Amino acid sequence: MSFPKKPGGKATDILQNLPRITLANLRPEPGSKKLWKRLLASHGGNRSGRGHKGERQRGNRPRLGFVGGSTPFYLAIPKYGYNEGHSCRPQYQPLSLKRLQYLIDLGRVDPTQPIDLTQLVNARGVTVQPLKRDYGVQLVDEGADIFAAKINIEVQRASEGAIAAIERNGGVVTTSFYDPISLGILIKPVPFFLRGQPIPRRMLPGEDMVPYYTNAENRGYLADPEKIQQARLALAQKYGYILPDISKDELYHMLSMRKDVRQIFFGLAPGWVVNMTEKKILKPTDEKLLKYYSS
Amino acid sequence: MAAFMLSRRTAVLCRTLKGISASKTVLPANSQCGLLLQTASYNPRPLRLNIRDPYIPDKDSEKTPEWQKTAKYDRKLFGRYGSASGIDPASLWPSHKELDKIIAEENEWHPPLEVMLKNIAIKEKAETEKRLAKEKLIAANMAKMPKMVADWRRQKREAKLKLKEEKARRTKLLAEARERFGYAVDPRSPKFLEMVAEIEKEEKKKKKLLKRRLKEEQAAGVVQPPPTSS
Repeated sequence: MSFPKKPGGKATDILQNLPRITLANLRPEPGSKKLWKRLLASHGGNRSGRGHKGERQRGNRPRLGFVGGSTPFYLAIPKYGYNEGHSCRPQYQPLSLKRLQYLIDLGRVDPTQPIDLTQLVNARGVTVQPLKRDYGVQLVDEGADIFAAKINIEVQRASEGAIAAIERNGGVVTTSFYDPISLGILIKPVPFFLRGQPIPRRMLPGEDMVPYYTNAENRGYLADPEKIQQARLALAQKYGYILPDISKDELYHMLSMRKDVRQIFFGLAPGWVVNMTEKKILKPTDEKLLKYYSS
Repeated sequence: MAAFMLSRRTAVLCRTLKGISASKTVLPANSQCGLLLQTASYNPRPLRLNIRDPYIPDKDSEKTPEWQKTAKYDRKLFGRYGSASGIDPASLWPSHKELDKIIAEENEWHPPLEVMLKNIAIKEKAETEKRLAKEKLIAANMAKMPKMVADWRRQKREAKLKLKEEKARRTKLLAEARERFGYAVDPRSPKFLEMVAEIEKEEKKKKKLLKRRLKEEQAAGVVQPPPTSS
């Protein structure tokens, strides 16, 4: 009787019985790593490969790109085409759905309340730098397959896949615009309140961004609500999921909370002065001021 | 809002908001907290407002620096110390003049949404018109292309033929000259040119004769048939 030979043989036995690979079990191929040779006299010594006198030997060479005093090459050549105006372009810090799910799971972001940029910054989920031409946060669809949270989120830009993933779970996405001053106030509300200034009105986007925020496909805050509903249905058809009816949801009131076009904070209107020490809000009574702040 | 609940200083803010909207009793933060199941939160930086020992500069003395007497500093004092700073809250908002300036600036630099939408529509319309005009032009020119290609090809062929004819004529003349003079004559020499002129004259005479004959034949031909037919 000859037993059928198992394929692989001793190699598979070894592989199955060895312990798991860790850094402690690994070693580089002998001969692949050459040891650093110290400069200890004879041909490694004397000037030790540094040359003869001057900045070279004394380690005082100028920075990379310096050409002795005339305008260096990297400054003389003007930028055009792909890189032209790159420093003036608005930037949006990406927020992946994977990270958002992570924050929700750890309890750093509360899904039972509307999620705003203030909430994300408080949770230290994103870091936004308004002074570096950041105009907010953009939703990226990485992690769309594992995302499972019903949230009312407001960002500045969102990709189609991210919108689909959130709406698939019964949530609501809105894209809104914050001008740089409003953004600075939004991400750091307490230092703003300590300044003693009245909350300013949020400005409208510039002409180049108005088409984006009036488009229902992007769930813009200036778009028609009916068109947004149609776009939700269309997206559900495109991505192949059934759009859950949020009007029958218990959190419908929270999910339908939306900020006014000129409002920066939920529950606070432009023109109010918030005082931290006395825990008071001061509202203007002058008609002209009221008219301006409510226009 | 709920995230505020978890931290000390934001809880202060929340209570203030609740206080203002109710303007009577301040709802305790716990009533909202009980519904949450927060497992982790962040620790905010403690707000050191320094209420016990505030520094409020003396506006009248000369020793205080100028920047501590500005409206901006007053607002910051109010923001830090509240009414204890002794600043009239009404000064926090812009005065009527300043407000007018602000409104004028806003009207100039931030047009309302309708105006922006109109501008966008106009720009889009101009763009689409331009694009359509360009496409029309391209289509019209493409329709003309086959004819233009055929014309060009015909022109090239004709030019080629002409060149060929010229060459043939030249070789013929050279051969004639060779026969007549007995040696290879340079086409530029005056002899050759004279010979060419003579040949041309002879050809013209021949043509004239041919024409006359054709005319006579035609006249004869025209005259003859009528008598036979009748």
